[in-house]
Amino acid sequence: MRTSSVSGIVFANSRDEALGRMTNIRSMASVPFGGRYRLVDFCLSNLVNAGITNVGVITKANYRSLMDHIESGAFWDLDRKRGGVHLLPPFNISGARRYHGYIEALYGAMDFLNRCNSDYIVLCDGCVAANVDIAAAINFHISKGADITVVYRTGVPVDNAKNMMTFKLDSGDRLVSAHFPKTVSANDLTSLGVLIFGRKLLIELINNAYENGGRNIDVDIIADRISDLNIYGFKHNGFSAIMTDIKTYTEANMSLLDKNVRADLFNPERRIMTKNRDDMPTRYGIRANVHNSFIADGCVVDGTVKNSILFRGVKVKKGAVVENSIVMQDCTVGENAVLQNVICDKKVFVGNNAMVKGPAGESVYIEKNQKF
Amino acid sequence: MIRKNCVAMLLAGGQGSRLGVLTAKIAKPAVPYGGKYRIIDFPLSNCINSGIDTVGILTQYKPLELNDYIGSGKAWDLDRLSGGVHILPPYQGQKGGDWYKGTANAIYQNLGFIERYDPEYVLILSGDHIYKMDYSKMINQHIATSAACTISVLEVPLEEASRFGIMNTNPDGSIYEFEEKPKNPKSNLASMGIYVFSWDKLKKYLTEDENDPDSENDFGKNIIPAMLAEGEKLQVYRFGDYWKDVGTVDSLWEANLDLLNPKIDLNLSDPDWRIYSRTGALPPQYISDKAKVENSLITDGCEVEGNLDYSILFENVTVEEGATVEYSLVMPGAIIKKGATVRYSIIAENAVIGENATVGSLPENTDPEEFGISVIGDNLTVGRGAQIGPKKMITENVGEGEKV
Repeated sequence: MRTSSVSGIVFANSRDEALGRMTNIRSMASVPFGGRYRLVDFCLSNLVNAGITNVGVITKANYRSLMDHIESGAFWDLDRKRGGVHLLPPFNISGARRYHGYIEALYGAMDFLNRCNSDYIVLCDGCVAANVDIAAAINFHISKGADITVVYRTGVPVDNAKNMMTFKLDSGDRLVSAHFPKTVSANDLTSLGVLIFGRKLLIELINNAYENGGRNIDVDIIADRISDLNIYGFKHNGFSAIMTDIKTYTEANMSLLDKNVRADLFNPERRIMTKNRDDMPTRYGIRANVHNSFIADGCVVDGTVKNSILFRGVKVKKGAVVENSIVMQDCTVGENAVLQNVICDKKVFVGNNAMVKGPAGESVYIEKNQKF
Repeated sequence: MIRKNCVAMLLAGGQGSRLGVLTAKIAKPAVPYGGKYRIIDFPLSNCINSGIDTVGILTQYKPLELNDYIGSGKAWDLDRLSGGVHILPPYQGQKGGDWYKGTANAIYQNLGFIERYDPEYVLILSGDHIYKMDYSKMINQHIATSAACTISVLEVPLEEASRFGIMNTNPDGSIYEFEEKPKNPKSNLASMGIYVFSWDKLKKYLTEDENDPDSENDFGKNIIPAMLAEGEKLQVYRFGDYWKDVGTVDSLWEANLDLLNPKIDLNLSDPDWRIYSRTGALPPQYISDKAKVENSLITDGCEVEGNLDYSILFENVTVEEGATVEYSLVMPGAIIKKGATVRYSIIAENAVIGENATVGSLPENTDPEEFGISVIGDNLTVGRGAQIGPKKMITENVGEGEKV
């Protein structure tokens, strides 16, 4: 496979409604995750690690923070003379407007699809945190002679399965039926939103589906054409999280406290790359008390941190306690303040002696720039 | 070539032999510092923060890792269409060529590089100091005093002045005498090895120096005395912030642990004066349930299950359960296995300290004559249960249970 023969497309606004206020101010793909990442880092890194250096990122709304993050693409080695990363804002259809569904989005990105001159296109959903071996999936696609390959996972039950596709495979890994259940059980095979198409076929399928009023790739292309196209499933064995609601988002972050999850998601052979901020290493003070926590560079910890994720530049002052919480970039937790079961968005300021507690097993979300 | 007001020339060719095994394979400016930096990040970041975007880096000793690290200069925002960072190794010309014979000769051999930018001023820097400095203030003073050369100085305690190159000055800050390591110092103004020259003067004195067969071709020993002898105006520029030479194992260790000293102002992520470095894409650090971490600096990619006090963990370091690291530096990729104890030591890149091994010792448990920092060379293995005493420089693998 010539790697230049594959291009990637990332959907930045996937499941935008799932995370409520967190995605009011940003697209799903720019949601902070895992201490120093944004969700788009997984898509971009997975594509780049498969040797794909021509990537379009389809955006819809609120994409300022995404543009800030991606810049020239250099952090993913995507500042290229040939190819590189292209932001694809709404365009094309009788004046700029927001798309409804991926089919319309891809129809709007037809210039990119027509021009990129690749044999294959890999579509990636921006709401997924996983280290997917896309190179292996492409080899699988080619060796099966597939028209479409869907990367799937199994073993992960989901309560709120809105817009999730599960399917059944025959013994040769070919899709025989597709389903859209309300809940997913551990045995189900669930699409991870990573799809491989021949480019010409994708263009044809999108044009047809668009003209027929189709919106959803899973419904109007995969499920609809399951009998007349060769659609195959490729299994992703490692960790994966699909952000369907705040609960799955919280659990996915917290699962990074598990060594095996870290080893899989941050596999040094296929690194997850992200924007660098040149923070100092994290400083732990004389009274620091830190247990079972995942902490990014640039923090200053003088208090207690337990079972938590700290993003870059978080300050935990003397006597403060942070427990079972996700604390995003540049938050400050004042002296003797207490945070429990909380998700703090960026730059939240919790004053001295303040206390913010969520109910056990649930997380309270605190909006960006809030002060207590 | 677009004209530049100031070109910086960074002397990065020294071996740094006093750092022993730490510079066995790399040039001193490439030695890791402070968790995620290398020494050269300081002059490079100072340059870009001071508005100097053209830097020549003079390399000679073991340049591979340094060249790799610098790359296009992008990490310091020094990848420029005009100017930017340039690696300048010794080269062969039509009439042969030579190694850099001294600091002055290294610049002399690259006069052609400076000439292309036709600057007003040339800033001479070295790659062995930890400090944050706004060179533009020094250059402004140089312009205001119409000096031929300005030398930045630091006040040192008079009793230590005999270890430095000392500038004897008039009340207006002009230099009348330079003494290298004087026995009876007349002043406590120590040279920091940072010079601003007016370009025409630099060219003149370097050319004259090159024609003197008896010269050692050194800025301190030859160029500065020659300029003073000719009656040129040389000025000191006083610098009052943190500055440390990291030429020895002890001073390198000290300069690192200074980052943990709340009384020392050395914030490296100050948004107005960030120190940039080239780092890999590493996940955040994980501190386990069993870990005890105090007074320490830990970098992305580390996994800590043991006990840390007064220590710095560089990228990708592992400290296993029950291991203890105190008053030590653990450089990138090193592993401290279960139950091992590391005190007052520097563990170089990718070294492995075996289970229950001990490295270094506490000063209170050691004869003061024998006390010192121990160093384990890069990629070495210290076997299970091995014991390495204080002030040891380990250059070969140490077997299981061995005592050194």
